[in-house]
Amino acid sequence: MTSATIKLDCVTKTFDGKVVAVDAVTLDIRAGEFFSLLGPSGCGKTTSLRMIAGFEMPDSGRVHVGGQDITDVPVHRRDMGMVFQSYALFPHRTVAENVAFGLRMRDVPRPEIAKRVAAALAQVALTGLEERRPGQLSGGQQQRVALARALVIEPRVLLCDEPLGALDRKLRQQMQFELKELQQRLGVTLVFVTHDQEEALAMSDRIAVMNKGRVEQVGAPTEIYERPRTRFVADFIGEINLLDDGPCPGALRPEKIRLVPVADARLEGTVETANFLGGATLYRVAAGGRTYLARETHSGERSPRAAGDAVGLAWNDTDVVPLES
Amino acid sequence: MPAVVSRRPSPIAWLIAPALLLFILFFVLPFAVMVAMSFFSSNPIGNPHAVVTTRHYQRFIEDNAGIFHDALWETLRIGLVTTVASLLIGYPLAHWMARMQSRLGHALALMAVITPLLTGIVVRTFAWMTILQDKGVINTTLISWGLIHKPLPLMYNEFGTVVALVHIYVPFMVLTLIGVIGRIDERFEQAARSLGAGRLRAFAEVTLPLSLPGILAGSLLVFALSISAYVTPSLMGGTNVLTLPMLIAQQVGTSFNPGFAGALGVILLAVSLVIVVAYNRILTRLSGEQGLA
Repeated sequence: MTSATIKLDCVTKTFDGKVVAVDAVTLDIRAGEFFSLLGPSGCGKTTSLRMIAGFEMPDSGRVHVGGQDITDVPVHRRDMGMVFQSYALFPHRTVAENVAFGLRMRDVPRPEIAKRVAAALAQVALTGLEERRPGQLSGGQQQRVALARALVIEPRVLLCDEPLGALDRKLRQQMQFELKELQQRLGVTLVFVTHDQEEALAMSDRIAVMNKGRVEQVGAPTEIYERPRTRFVADFIGEINLLDDGPCPGALRPEKIRLVPVADARLEGTVETANFLGGATLYRVAAGGRTYLARETHSGERSPRAAGDAVGLAWNDTDVVPLES
Repeated sequence: MPAVVSRRPSPIAWLIAPALLLFILFFVLPFAVMVAMSFFSSNPIGNPHAVVTTRHYQRFIEDNAGIFHDALWETLRIGLVTTVASLLIGYPLAHWMARMQSRLGHALALMAVITPLLTGIVVRTFAWMTILQDKGVINTTLISWGLIHKPLPLMYNEFGTVVALVHIYVPFMVLTLIGVIGRIDERFEQAARSLGAGRLRAFAEVTLPLSLPGILAGSLLVFALSISAYVTPSLMGGTNVLTLPMLIAQQVGTSFNPGFAGALGVILLAVSLVIVVAYNRILTRLSGEQGLA
């Protein structure tokens, strides 16, 4: 399967002439990359995806795929696979007919359609369910049909709009693995829209964090997590201690704070709450007139502290990430 | 596992009593009387010599006067043309309204669809008469522009009847369709487009078959209403149009032959039931979607 680069060049989209959904966004997505658009609802991530798909026309700016300007190409000529939130499987068609749809639109001969549909269903482990209707499938199976339907046309680009949002936690994790594995095997460029930062961190090669129609930061998951550039990114991804009392604001991850004996401490404090998370415990510690979050990983013996205990907090200055003000 | 059935009916079941009573008193009972009358030589209550007979049906089948079969055919033809025309006019309108983003626009369009229903059928039919008759708006305008020299036959025929019937029944079609189309997720059509279908193809492959229950319901409603219409065909058709409801009214009002009128009623019902079932079957098979029955 061939994959293509995607380039959004200073793309802006306004709704009803006043609400700016996407504000001068520029993105360079590499060929074969798993790229996530991450942000809270209303940040413009879905609108950006819909502009790549062709469902929305940008007010200004251009969209390029594979080096070609496709801004004015209609949806059905863009050759992109799309997986919708809640899948949008055709309820009046069988699984096989759903998957065959894109091939039928391309006037692929019948015997070849049958062969490719069978192969696509095998790829997502759905062989045997060809004659079912979408309504008779579980959420995970519907998800796989949606993937097979989008991939059978061998798109250069696969667009996913919160495709795992409707699944329960366990199934979602399983589908994360499957989707990532499928994407790597096929080498297709995948643009993934999500508001779930864990999902984005787990699956993506690179993430664009969006807020209020703008891109706050683009980078690999580790980079986004370890080196958030803005206050918004630091706050949106994982837990964070924002240290903005000094001259330049900084961010400190809870796991970078050590709980130490009071004598060795940079700050003395009192445990407010201790949330046991399984592999770790997240403490809220009142110290120096504010609350700090500290995550202590359980390796070896656990030294649990309870609410009310006096603890010392320590961290390295190099772990404080400076933020743009 | 056997289903648990409560023996005592829910107290709410009593609330359907008025509807049930209405249905029995004004539908089941008159219908039974009509069927019974159609098998008697004359009214068995007033005439002790009345006998059970099939002669009303024979009279229709033999059709010595040569008008009964034509009347049935004309009724069905008016019904079918009205239904198809209402669908062709109503579907795009309903689709447009169901997909409208603006709430105000939707409310205004809905008002425009519903408002005609607030005017009586007789009034609307007379309005069409002033438009379509020989000295009506259209003909006088065309003549004054010199485009035609004698009036076009726009009414006192099937054409005028159908025009007025379509105008009267389009709202029923639109209201039925809006509900069904509005519930079809727009993403189905978007998915079809992303898979390579142009707008029209996506509509034909996805939205149209999914709106089939609405098309069926709307068509049946309009068909049933237009084959039983009496006022509009009488006024718009004049002496050139004779439909079964008009014939039935004649039999009851001027010929005093309720037995034959009953037989005509039963025949109209039977024929239209056959058409309705066939229509349902064909559409259901064409689309693979579930029909009404």
